[in-house]
Formats: sequence, C-alpha cells, structure tokens
Amino acid sequence: MLLQDENLWYKDAVVYQLHVRTFCDSNADGIGDFRGLSSKLDYLQELGINAIWVLPFYPSPLRDDGYDIADYTSVHPSYGTLQDFKDFLTAAHNRRIRVITEMVVNHTSDQHPWFQEARGSRENPKRDWYVWSETDTRYQGVRIIFIDTEMSNWAWDPISKSYYWHRFFGHQPDLNYDNPAVREAMWEVMKFWLDIGVDGFRLDAVPYLIEREGTSCENLPETHEIIRDFRKRIDLAYPGRMLLAEANQWPADVRAYFGNGDEFHMAFHFPLMPRMFMAVKLEDRKPIIEILEQTPQIPDTCQWCIFLRNHDELTLEMVTDIERDYMYDEYAVDKAMRINLGIRRRLAPMMENDRRRVELLTGLLLSMPGTPILYYGDEIGMGDNVYLGDRNGVRTPMQWNGGWNAGFSAADPERLYSPLISNPVYGYQAINVDSQRRSAHSLLSWTKSVIQTRNAFRVFSRGSIEFLNPSNHRVLAYVRRLGDEKVLIVNNLSSSAQAVELNLQMYKRHIPIEMFGRNLFPRIGDLPYLLTLGPYQFYWFRLRRI
Amino acid sequence: MKEVVLQGLRQAYGNLVHMFAEFLPRMLVMLVIVGIGLLVAYALKMILRAVLHVTRLDRLSEEAGASRFLRMAALPSMTELLSRSLFWVTWLGFILIGISVLGVAGLQEQISRLFLLLPAIFVAILILFLGLVTANFTSRAALLAAVNAGYPSPKLLSWSIRFVIWALAVSMALEQVGVARQTVIAAFSIVFGAFMFGMALAFGLGGKDLAREFLERNLTEKKKEKFHEPQPL
Amino acid sequence: MAEESFLADEFLRQLMSVGEVDLLIGIPSYNNATTLGQTLQSVEESLRQNFVRERAVILNVDGGSADETRQIFVQSSDRRDVAHKGLTSLRTIHRISCEYDRSPSQGIALRNVVAAADLLRAKACAVVSPATANLTPSWVANLLRPVYREGLDFVAPLYVRSRFQGLLARDLLYPVSRAVFGQRIRELYSDEWGFSGRLASRCLEKDVWHEDAVRARPEAWMAITAAGAGLRCGQYFLGPKSAAPPGTGPDIVEAIRQTVGNFFWCMETNQAQWMTRSNSQPVATFGPDHELSLDGIPPSPEKIFDLFRSGVGELEPILASILTQDTHAQIKAIALSDRAKFRFAPELWVTTLYEFAASYHHAVLNRDHLVQALVPLYRGRLYSFLLENANTSAEAMEAQSEILCQEFERRKPYLVERWTAKS
Repeated sequence: MLLQDENLWYKDAVVYQLHVRTFCDSNADGIGDFRGLSSKLDYLQELGINAIWVLPFYPSPLRDDGYDIADYTSVHPSYGTLQDFKDFLTAAHNRRIRVITEMVVNHTSDQHPWFQEARGSRENPKRDWYVWSETDTRYQGVRIIFIDTEMSNWAWDPISKSYYWHRFFGHQPDLNYDNPAVREAMWEVMKFWLDIGVDGFRLDAVPYLIEREGTSCENLPETHEIIRDFRKRIDLAYPGRMLLAEANQWPADVRAYFGNGDEFHMAFHFPLMPRMFMAVKLEDRKPIIEILEQTPQIPDTCQWCIFLRNHDELTLEMVTDIERDYMYDEYAVDKAMRINLGIRRRLAPMMENDRRRVELLTGLLLSMPGTPILYYGDEIGMGDNVYLGDRNGVRTPMQWNGGWNAGFSAADPERLYSPLISNPVYGYQAINVDSQRRSAHSLLSWTKSVIQTRNAFRVFSRGSIEFLNPSNHRVLAYVRRLGDEKVLIVNNLSSSAQAVELNLQMYKRHIPIEMFGRNLFPRIGDLPYLLTLGPYQFYWFRLRRI
Repeated sequence: MKEVVLQGLRQAYGNLVHMFAEFLPRMLVMLVIVGIGLLVAYALKMILRAVLHVTRLDRLSEEAGASRFLRMAALPSMTELLSRSLFWVTWLGFILIGISVLGVAGLQEQISRLFLLLPAIFVAILILFLGLVTANFTSRAALLAAVNAGYPSPKLLSWSIRFVIWALAVSMALEQVGVARQTVIAAFSIVFGAFMFGMALAFGLGGKDLAREFLERNLTEKKKEKFHEPQPL
Repeated sequence: MAEESFLADEFLRQLMSVGEVDLLIGIPSYNNATTLGQTLQSVEESLRQNFVRERAVILNVDGGSADETRQIFVQSSDRRDVAHKGLTSLRTIHRISCEYDRSPSQGIALRNVVAAADLLRAKACAVVSPATANLTPSWVANLLRPVYREGLDFVAPLYVRSRFQGLLARDLLYPVSRAVFGQRIRELYSDEWGFSGRLASRCLEKDVWHEDAVRARPEAWMAITAAGAGLRCGQYFLGPKSAAPPGTGPDIVEAIRQTVGNFFWCMETNQAQWMTRSNSQPVATFGPDHELSLDGIPPSPEKIFDLFRSGVGELEPILASILTQDTHAQIKAIALSDRAKFRFAPELWVTTLYEFAASYHHAVLNRDHLVQALVPLYRGRLYSFLLENANTSAEAMEAQSEILCQEFERRKPYLVERWTAKS
C-alpha cells in the first residue's frame, strides 16, 4: 500500500527514549511524572529530536519496571493522570514531536484483573486468556530468557493449582493469543490509545506470542498473522500510526516481521548494536560490515531502528560465545556489570568517559541506515550504578543541574525512586544539562549540532548505503545516497591516527564538503583519495558536483 | 808485405784498445748506475714495505678479498707484491738508463721501443694473472662438483678446464704484446679446436654409455635404480 | 646519495593499511602453487583457534614465481573471512604480499618479513614454508605461543624423524653449533621457526643481508644473533618432519653448502661470542617428549662409501691445504680400509670439522670450495653412522648423539687454538 510521505514520518525520526519516572518530578514525590515531562519538552525540542518513546507508564506492581501491566488503559498514579498524559501528548504534538508508547502484548502482570479472573476458577471465561498446563513438561527445550532469575518457563499457580506459561518473569504470565478474545481485547487497548492520539506503539516481546509443541515458541507463522491483523486495522482506522517490533533476533529472522510491508513499520536491529561496541574495541570494522552484509533488504515503507543503549542490558544474545567473552572482558570486567546475557552499563562509562569515543559512536548511530534512538541522559554523558538491582543502574534520575536532586525533584533525596549518580566523575554536579548548556563545546551542544546536521539531509534517514572497503581495516567508510544527494562518512575506529586511501572513482570530479565546518576538501580525482584521521575521528562529507 | 800486415794489425789493435778505452768508462758508469739502482730499488722496497705495514694494507686487502686471489695464484701478500714490484720496476729503470749511457747505436731506439711496449706488457701480465686465477678457481670448482656428484674422471675434467682457460689467457697475453699475432691466433685455434675435437671423441666414443644413461635419466620415464641418499635436513 | 630502500612503495602501502599487529606469519614462496592454499588454511585455522583476540597479519613474500602462487594468495586475500570448520574470527586477519625480483632467497624473503615485523610492531612472528606438506594449525600456534605468551625471542622447531632423516643436523650441525655457541638447539636449520618483534628489529639493523650465507639460510643466524644479544631461545616439539619425495629438496652438496657455509660464516662474524664460551646450556623446550620412530627407507650405503673414498683421493691437494698432515693422513688411511669394517671415529670427525672451521677462518682457499670439500668426508662419516646404527634402538642412537656432542664440547679448545694460530 503506497503511503503518503507524511505517513512515513518514522523514517525521518530521531527518537528519544525515556521513562517518565526518570525524567522530571513535578509534585515532589520523588518520582517523575507526565507534568514534569511536559515541562521538559522545550529541552527535547531544542535537542532536535522529533519523537519520544515513553516506557510503560501503566498501573503496575512495578516488579519489572512497568512491563508487568495491571491495567492497560490507565496511567500509574505515580506518573499522573490520564489527563496529564493527554496534556503531554498535546504539548508534544504542538512542538512537532511524536509520541510512541509501549504495548506489552505478550504478557500481563499477575495482578492484572484478567489474570486474577483466570486463576480464580477453571471455568472462568478468562481462564483461556492465559496458557495453562497440568504439568511443566510442555514445550520442552524452549530457552529461558531471564536466565539469572528464572529456572523454568512454567510457574506454579497455587490458587488454580496448575502451571502457567511465562517467557519472562514468573509474575508475568503470557497471554494466550490462540484465543481470539485476547486479540480483540488487545486491539481495544490499542484503539484506546490511538484514539487519544498516540503516534505509535512499540510492541514488546512479539516473537513469543504463540506457542507450539516441538518448536522454539518464537517467530511462529501464527504470530505474523496476528501482527498482520493488527496492522490492517491500524492502517484502516489510523493511517500514519506506527508499529515498532521488539524482536531480539538475527536480522534474517526479524525480516519476517516486516512482512510485505504489511506487518511492522519498524523493527530494532539488535545484532548491530553490540558489534558497534565491538568494532571500536577491536579497532576493526569487520563486525559491523559482517552483520550489515547479512541484513536483508526490507520493504521501502519499512525501517530498521538502531540504537546504542536502552533501558535494558546491552544484550549479547545475538553474538557468538567468543564475541560475548570478548565483550565481557572488555566492557564488563566487574561481574556486577553483567546480567542475563548482557551488560547493564550506560554509554559514557562503557566508553570510559572518552568524549571522542562517545562522539564516534553517536556519529555512527546518526549516520548509519535506520531510525536512531537516543537513550535519555546519553546526550550529556550520564553514568550508571551497577550496584542497583536488575537493570535499574541505567534508569537513574535525569541530571538537570548541579543542585537539589540534580533538578529532578524537589522531594527529599531519600524519597527519590532511585538514588542519583553522585560520584565525582559522573555525578550530577559534574554531568548535568544546565552546565552543558552553558558551553558551546559540551557534549550536549555537540549532540544538538550533529542531530541538526542529520535532520537537514534526508539522505541519512532514507538513503542507501554502499560500503567502501579501504585496505585499512581500522577505518569504516561508506557512502549514503538518495537521488542526487551523496554523503561520504569516514570513521576512524582506532585509538591512533590513521591514514586511509579511499577508492572514490565513482565520484570523480565531486567536491567533498565537510558538513560540520562546511569547508571544502580537495576534489576527487583519478587517484585514491587520501585522508588522515585523528584517534576516533570521523568525517561527514557532502559530495557535490559543481 | 809483412810490415804492412803488422802495421795493419798494430793499427787494428790500437783501434780496439781505443774502443775499449772509450767503452770501458761507459761500462763502468753503467755498472755504477746499475749498482746505485740496485741500492735505490732495495731501499725503496724496504721503505714501501714499512709504509704499507703501518697502513695495514694487507688487512685491507684481506677484507677486500684481494688476498684470496693472490693466494690462489700462489703470489705473495699485497704488501710484498707491491714492494717487490717497485723494486723491479725501479731497478729495471736504472738498468735501462745504464744501458743508454753505453751509447750503443740503435740501442737507444730499442730501449725507447721497450718503454713504449711497457703498457702492453703490463696488460699482458694482468691477463695472465687473471687467467691463472680464473683457471685455478674454475678448475677447482669443477673438480669439487664432479667429485661430489660422483661423476667419473673428475681430475680430467678439472685439468681440461684449466688447460682451456690457461691457453686462452696465454693467447690473449701474447696477442696483447703483439708477438706473432697471426701465428698465435692460428695456433690457438688449431690447438683449441683439436683439443675440443679430442674431448668430443673421448667423451663421445668413450663416454657414450654415460651419455646414454644421462639422456635416459633426463628424457625418458624409464626408472632405473637410483642412488638414494638420506634426506640431510 | 640516499640509500635505495628495499621496501617497495606498494608493500609499504599495504603495511600502512594493516597497522600495528600482535602476530605476523611470514610465508616465503617460490613456485608453491600446489601447496600454498593448504598452508594458508592451516595458518588461518591456527589464528582462529588459538589467537582469537590478537591482531594478526599473514605476509607472503614471493621470489618471482612462474606459476600461480601469487594469484592464489591474492585471491585468498580478496575473499571474505568465511567460516571454516565452524570457526570465525573476531578480527580481520590481514593478508598482504610482496615480491622481490632477484633469484629466490630465504634471506631476502626474511628481510621483508623482519622489516614488516618492525614497522608493524609485531610482538610475535613465525616463518612457515609452503613446502612443508604436513604443516598443521598447531605447528603455527606452537611457534608463536612461546614468543607471544612466554616472552622467548627465538623458537626453533623440534621434529620426530625417521632414523635416516636429518642426519646432517644430528651428526654435524647440532653437535658443532651446540659446542661452539653453547645453545642446545637441535634444529638450527629448519623451514619454520618463530621469533619476537624485538629480535626482528635487531636483525633488521644488521648490514648482512647481502651476504650469501645469510641469503641461503638466515634462520641459524637469527638464533645466533639472539643468543649473542642475551635474548631467550627455545624449541617446541611440532611433530613428524615430512619426508621430501625422493628427487626433490636440496641434495647433500647444496645442503652442506648452505648450512655449513652459513655456520662457518656465523662463527667468523661472531668470534667474540663463542670463543670464550666453554660449555653448552639446554634451552627451554616445550611440547611432549618425542622419540625417533624406527621406520625409514634404508639408504644405499655402498655408493656413499664409494663417493667418500673417491673424494678423498681426488681432492687430496685440496684437503692437504685444509687439514693438518696428521688428520689428513688418518683420513687417507681410513679411506683405504675395508668397507665392512669402516669406522669414522667421532674424535676424528670432530678434529676434521674443527680444522675445516679454522681453515675457513684463515681463508686458505675460496670458502665455498672449502665447504664443498667437506662433502666427501661427511659421506664417510654418514657411512660409518649407517653401519654402526643399522640395528640400534632409538635410545642408543640418542645416547651416541649425546656422546658426540660432548666430544665436540671437550675438543673446543683445539678449535680455538687452530682458529687463532697464525696462518
């Protein structure tokens, strides 16, 4: 179906991911809320992002940071009211910022009324809304996702005296999508939010919707049928709204979630992310090139989502054992930094607070094909606290200034939902928005300018990519093209200065214009184009033929 | 008659005595010159030898590899060679000067012709020297190769090579000094040709079995029992 | 006028692209199209299995092959790092190549390898030969590991051999090198060895690359340079040495010219290093103990004796200028003895070799000729060895070998005396 360009807004988006709880507290209860978030929309607009992805804010026992939902059509009282959310949405839209929310379709909290009813009695109409079994031997061999905390995908329900299926925490029973009532119920939930004006949903944990004996219970054909159905309904009733898949799979397996342009609009490219970190440590472009060469083509209306960090651990599921060991040894020497199959650290600490590396990775994020997602706080280089439980170390309060509670909340510090980062390196006194706003050369200012540059050229969001493979493997170079617009990106992945000769014969007679300083570089001729780069330096060149 | 003869004899005797009387002083002068020349040449030789010892010419020559050639050609060390050469050149010069003092008609001319011939003589000596060195080296190399390869009559091969090179060097040297040029070239061609013809006959007839074996080994697939030496490394 | 660099521009450009590495594997080649592919595979497998995180480069130095050797290497560089036997590499394994246009020479090839090692700051290097038919991934790893992980500077291979293989090493090169230079390295002359970047830099600085001795067999010179500089040497047991098919490989004359010629040259240029040393020391040895295997094609000893006898006769004037009268007389005497009872005693062998070494030093004749004159005498010694050991056990052969080595060490003062005597 040919979508109008306005409906393809997600392709041009620069998304900012945040949890309302972490961003700004307006009522001094120590927990961020929607009113607080609304008050910071100017900051986000100034930053240059044009979409916000809000993590789950629904009523929940908060045993999985809100991904255990107890009520799909309301707002957790800690974060405000439904009206507060609507006001936030309106304010965002007024600033031409779209809002993407979470739709946790795979499971609910065990406190959700649906589950309370289902477990209450085997005859309850909602019994079949979940996956029950008399034994825990069904679906043998299916992998456990939260390996650090769960021993089995089955949990014993003492109330109904049977087992229920859960791919995540034991308190998050999986919904039974073989039941049409479940699908309808979920569609009603989506409608609720779409009617309010939400621009898109990130569907959490979509590969796991359906279970079948003798399979891995992931990525089954029936799952795609369900998605296609949702998509069809959305396109009919809510054109221009977007569905984003969270499917932590190999690119070839994720491809199926785009369908023929009739399933998800976007999907995360999980395997690329650890390889970007790996490439910088190895000082070798090989991991990035290999994974992108394996990435299949997707329909024109679809888009990959790329990211560096998010609210979860830096997942190392989609790497080999050798690669995982390497990542652990290089980025998570302290075992406290590891959880499940991943690393629970933020970008800046992983880069050892090396501004050059942070910029390099951010530059890669914003110049590679896909819609980039920035995790809140990474634009100022926030740190983490690996000694908080679960993944909470990367979900600490946003650091606005060096004052009371980092400007996050007027509450007593002890009342905050999470302790602030307060060490001398990453603490809020050193790293905060206000102090970085004062300098035109801070990381925040730099991030703003690079987003601005990216937004000025559609080639970044919609262009093709062609890798130049210079003989110097420490340099990752590629050309993005969209029509006549061509941009050459050259990245030095190593900690030492490098020289590289690029074969740019196809762009002979073009003039490279460096995009940040807008200076002219020598015209491309017959010979290989020689560039020298400082440690971790990168160039963006517009190639103009005049 | 008797008086005439006696007078003639007395006159001839007188002339002879007169000639001797005139010649003897010159002869003495020549001998003195030669004697002085001997002393001067000897002195120069000793001085040069001492100077060359101080400047360690022998060591330089050893390092340059020239000493090896001298040893191969059974010549003395560089210092000794140069010292002796200087001695002979100096003394020869004095001898020639002495001879010129004799005033023998025609001898002056011959002496100057000899001087003109010196460069060619020098080149000829050099050719002989190089020929000697090359002959020694090449013949020894051939001897070693033939012995180690187990070929029959290695000494014959070595001697043949030495003869050829030496004959060539001698011919070239003689041609250089212009001694019987045509004869030498012809003689060399005849001798060389005859030698090669003889070798061809000797090897052709006498070595036909060897030749056959060589050809069979290298051009046909036929396997013969081969000498198998253990792998050295 | 500035000296011309031996590094071609194109090669330098390739080195620039590679950057700093941890490991460098050099593969000198000349007309090895049939075996190079297999060698490359073994090297890559070794890197993927044993040095997953290390930065590595494979360097091919070709001596102007007339077959497709170069093309095979270049093609392997162009293809992607495909998984082989389920192994992928974390990093790019670089492959670069260069060519030199003189006649094939191990020394010239090695010069390019050490230059690359120096410029790329490689920590550990290895040279492997595409002619080694049974090169395995573990061999490559075993040459690199002691250098990379244990800090050694030179690692020689150790092979298990058939009884009649490598006798030049066992009976001449090992005993004399052990006695002279004091390091008990069994295979000083080999086709594969490992060395450190530190040693490579040191060797690169030396102005000996034009010497014929270094061009032919540079590996022993490297080991001796290492020992002379106080760097650590060792050896690693690799496995069976592949037997060259009959008719291939260097023959005994060429082998002696290269190895003994190189060894005497090393003695000549490192006099201060060996003259005062009195006994030998074992070197660090890695890998399991090995034994000789007892199988092997028996050689034709009769012909060997004939060559010895005829050599002694035909080369009499030459031998007379090399050996002392007494030694020469002894050799002539044994040449006339009954072949069934022939014995070239170890004591005589030691004396002979030492006199040859001293005569080499005094340059009594052209040095290459002098080394060639040793060949018939070596054959005599070989014949004696074969007669004595026709039915000997491996342990007994090892014991005899040790006795010979000790004789070389015991008689070393004689070598020094002959060496320093006025010519």
